[in-house]
Amino acid sequence: MADSLLKRYTYDVMANDFMAAGKSSSAIKSNLKSLGIDSDILRRIAIISYEAELNIVIHSFGGKLHCDIYENKIVIISEDAGPGIEDVDLAMKEGYSTASDSVRELGFGAGMGLPNIKKYSDHLEINSSSTGTKIVATINL
Amino acid sequence: MNFSIMLDEGKCRGCTNCMKRCPTQAIRLINGKAFINTAKCIHCGECIRICPYNAYTPESIEWYNQMHDSPKKFKIAIPTTSLYGQFPRGTDICKVQNAILKVGFDYVYDASWAADLVARAIKLKIEKEKTIRPYISTYCPAAVRLIKYRYPSLMDNLILIREPMEIAGILARERVRKNYNLKDDDIKVFYISPCPAKLLAVTNPIGDYTPSVDWVIPLNKIYGNLYREVIKEDNNICSYPSLKGVRWSVAGGQSEHAELKNYLAVHGMENIIQIMEEIENGKLSNIDFVEASACVNGCVGGTFNVVNPFIATSNIYYISNSLKDECINPDIDRFDEMHATGFFNYKLKEEERPGKLNLKEAVERQEKIKEILDMLPGLDCGSCGAPTCLAHAEDVYNKESEFYDCVVLRAKK
Ligand SMILES: Nc1ncnc2c1ncn2[C@@H]1O[C@H](COP(=O)(O)OP(=O)(O)O)[C@@H](O)[C@H]1O
Ligand code: SF4
Ligand code: SF4
Ligand SMILES: [Mg+2]
Repeated sequence: MADSLLKRYTYDVMANDFMAAGKSSSAIKSNLKSLGIDSDILRRIAIISYEAELNIVIHSFGGKLHCDIYENKIVIISEDAGPGIEDVDLAMKEGYSTASDSVRELGFGAGMGLPNIKKYSDHLEINSSSTGTKIVATINL
Repeated sequence: MNFSIMLDEGKCRGCTNCMKRCPTQAIRLINGKAFINTAKCIHCGECIRICPYNAYTPESIEWYNQMHDSPKKFKIAIPTTSLYGQFPRGTDICKVQNAILKVGFDYVYDASWAADLVARAIKLKIEKEKTIRPYISTYCPAAVRLIKYRYPSLMDNLILIREPMEIAGILARERVRKNYNLKDDDIKVFYISPCPAKLLAVTNPIGDYTPSVDWVIPLNKIYGNLYREVIKEDNNICSYPSLKGVRWSVAGGQSEHAELKNYLAVHGMENIIQIMEEIENGKLSNIDFVEASACVNGCVGGTFNVVNPFIATSNIYYISNSLKDECINPDIDRFDEMHATGFFNYKLKEEERPGKLNLKEAVERQEKIKEILDMLPGLDCGSCGAPTCLAHAEDVYNKESEFYDCVVLRAKK
């Protein structure tokens, strides 16, 4: 069955932990490489999962990053514990960012994360409330 | 036979240093001796550098034969740019080329002259084609192969412009054919190389062309003879390398020569890995050009050099900053004409496409390997002969080694 879940990789992502930021998406990437995923797909997933992870680190109280493998698609899911995206439409705009100056000094907060997640996924769902944000990005194989 | 890194088994003590260092996990210990899987080796030279017992003999054993068994051939030498950094300050480096003739070559074409041309081609390509960012240099064959095996999604970022060695070979052949009325078959082209990686570029290029260079000679193997000739009183024929071209031997030199303002020069394997991860994550697309050199400081750090990389760097800077530029580049006037014909460009060799991925099988395989891994102690001690417990688990799964090669588990059993 093409639509049954073959495998889920899950990683905890800590808020504000800039030392560890990028580790979860790196792990996803190396797992997918070892599965033999095509390099173009891999690159899209690399960008999506990295940006989703960084958003948990920068903007949320912490959460999880999942990578679900199906025979015909790969789904990156990020879930966090809030505070939520105030205005999702605005957040989707290129260059829009609420990142603080101190985060920008670290080289983050260009406001391109969500737009790039959108650009590189075939389907994107965002659900956000004050109790948390869930992003489901699908890449078809 | 085209493999250039030999192990002296008598010297190898099976210490695991090289195995753990190898960026492609190409090394295993078999019966306590290091063994390189040639299919995985990218010729970066890390194993040679780290071996505490100097067990690796970094040479292409055939270079000597190639050179001496072909007495009837007309021999062209292309010296690497790093050669100019290997002489004591004050040496008349304009005498290097004549010294090369004295040690048995018939013609010299300097890699730095070709670098003058290639730098222009890079500049033009970066100015014209703005869709790919960053472009990644293809100068270092070890870095390019690291990308090929570990970061295949970045192959599209490689700037497919022939590197100076290749261009020098073509142009030198052309001149020799004309000036000496020879056929291509009568000519052999040797590159005097700072590293084993260049041999890989000659024997197994990534591009879909026949390399113009026939063989590489390790710089250190002819350095002694060269130096003796360079300092001889009666060696008084002067010919200069391009002073900007010699900077290619130091990280950043390519970009400076191409007059790029927005570039990144990374050197050393571990640093390259970090930068490639960043590029793969979509970062650094605000940079035009990334120079990645496997060796610390660039080609001056190649394992065939004789001088410490930092001293060589200082020598190269000294040469390019303080010498009077008396270089007469034989082909620079032809640049526009050559460039217009697409002379510098190439395509990647068609690789066999892997068959359609069966994800279900791939997941099962990964899970079985994980099961094996979970039974291993996780010490990554290397005593089993694999660099990490994960590598051992994969080897066991592939039936390339025995589960109980793990000494910790064997001791418990
Ligand atoms: N997981 C999240 N939780 C709360 N807010 C978020 C989250 N992800 C994104 N945002 C909000 O959306 C904005 C845009 O996100 P993004 O496009 O990734 O840009 P950047 O991260 O550079 O600010 C962020 O500045 C932030 O206000
Ligand atoms: S040269 Fe590099 S890739 Fe080859 S075996 Fe040595 S460390 Fe590994
Ligand atoms: S940096 Fe230069 S010397 Fe070192 S491996 Fe690459 S091409 Fe060879
Ligand atoms: Mg972001």
